[in-house]
Amino acid sequence: MTGSKKNNEVHVQLTDVYKRYSPAVGSHLRNQKTRLVLSEVTIEINKGERVGLIGSNGAGKTTLLKVIAGISKISSGKLVVNGRVNSLMELGAGFYPDLTGRENILLNGMLAGASRKEVRRSMNDIIKFSGIAKFIDYPFYTYSAGMKLRLAFSVAIHASPDILLFDEIVAMGDEKFIKTFQDYFSRVLKEKKTVIFATHVLDVLPLYCNRVIWMDEGKVRMDGETKKVIEKYKKEMKKRKDDS
Amino acid sequence: MLGKEIFSREWWEFLDVLVEKELRMRYKMAIFGFAWIFINPIIQMLVMGFIFQFFVPVKTANYFEFLFPGLLVWNFFSYTVLKNTPIFIGERALLKKANFPKETIVLSVVIVNLLNFLLALMVFVTFEWLVLAEIHWWRWWLLPGIMLWLTVLTTGLSLLFSSLNVKWRDVNYGVQALMPLWFYATPIVYSIDLLPKWAAGFVYYNPMTAIVEILRWVVIGTPVGWVSIWVSILSTLIIFVVGWVVFKNNSSNFDDWL
Repeated sequence: MTGSKKNNEVHVQLTDVYKRYSPAVGSHLRNQKTRLVLSEVTIEINKGERVGLIGSNGAGKTTLLKVIAGISKISSGKLVVNGRVNSLMELGAGFYPDLTGRENILLNGMLAGASRKEVRRSMNDIIKFSGIAKFIDYPFYTYSAGMKLRLAFSVAIHASPDILLFDEIVAMGDEKFIKTFQDYFSRVLKEKKTVIFATHVLDVLPLYCNRVIWMDEGKVRMDGETKKVIEKYKKEMKKRKDDS
Repeated sequence: MLGKEIFSREWWEFLDVLVEKELRMRYKMAIFGFAWIFINPIIQMLVMGFIFQFFVPVKTANYFEFLFPGLLVWNFFSYTVLKNTPIFIGERALLKKANFPKETIVLSVVIVNLLNFLLALMVFVTFEWLVLAEIHWWRWWLLPGIMLWLTVLTTGLSLLFSSLNVKWRDVNYGVQALMPLWFYATPIVYSIDLLPKWAAGFVYYNPMTAIVEILRWVVIGTPVGWVSIWVSILSTLIIFVVGWVVFKNNSSNFDDWL
């Protein structure tokens, strides 16, 4: 009994996961060896945890998120994801420039795993929460980057996800958006949603996350309490800078 | 996560939304909108009918009614395959958002083109009925079967080419080169008995030949080669299975190449 209950609490579990990219056939890279982007990754994330993901460019943060979202397939190892995942990774992913904001909501909500009924029911809430009601019937290509982000974020959180994945793009919002984002996080705290959040802006991490995973060259370098990991990370970065 | 089982309720719902999107996008900023469904084939028929009737000695009362059924079948087939071949590259924004049944992207194009085909065919039949000749209504009962057959062939090739094109972008150029050749290897502007023997043998086993000929048989009663029907059905099934297997084996890795 206790065992199965404990299992339900685990939202994301990676065991010895590897991810390799083969070089593209026709490109100038075709003679290169396969590139290892994730290796020996073993992570367990429980329900309601808010995890920050740090590491330099190319450390494997985005690939890790993609793998959890099911967008990319792992090369070996074991991956278990319990619950509905929604990702906010590339700005405009899942949105069609020629369709209006309203038309895009339906498709995007369904991509996020909601049924058509669910999306239709929450349509007004999504538009209201996005704060761009005035422009909702204009084509998506007329939107500014901030408006795109707001709409995508609104759709993402209204699709009642269990696991939310955010990549860097959250940092693109203006102050008002950051405020919305923070408010949402305090709500997430109560709803016990799992959030994984990749960023380079270290200062915001203590606000959102109770745990940070530091990725380094495809491996988990450190995994633990937010402040400790950030401290270690900063020290290492400084050292690397001094060395070079 | 989106229900991944094929033909589940979520699957149909998602396909439906993609079809609706495809319809909206296609005619969104066009002044004539849906009218293009009819304008295109009519212009094409007038031009081709006008030119080819001087060169191709087809023995028929009216060359236009000989030409049109084949042309509609061909348009459906070639537009769909040509549009689907590079589609996973064009739709990378969707593929990078979530994990969902990717075959729905290909199928939505097939369905929208099928609707276009049916609408154009209806206009043609009405025209036939009012202006040209008697209609053998009983033969039209074959239509659903012909459509299914054509759709399976088109879908199979679409899945095959689109999956291969993710990794080997040459496929798209190859298909673009292949289509005009395939058009002339299918008895659309001519009938097969006008060909020299060696060429006729070749055209006879082209899977599109039987489909074009049988629809023409429905419309104006021209003969069909029975063997070519069986060859076509068999190759249709083989192409579909190969396309499906190639798609299934590669679709989860598409993201690596986009």
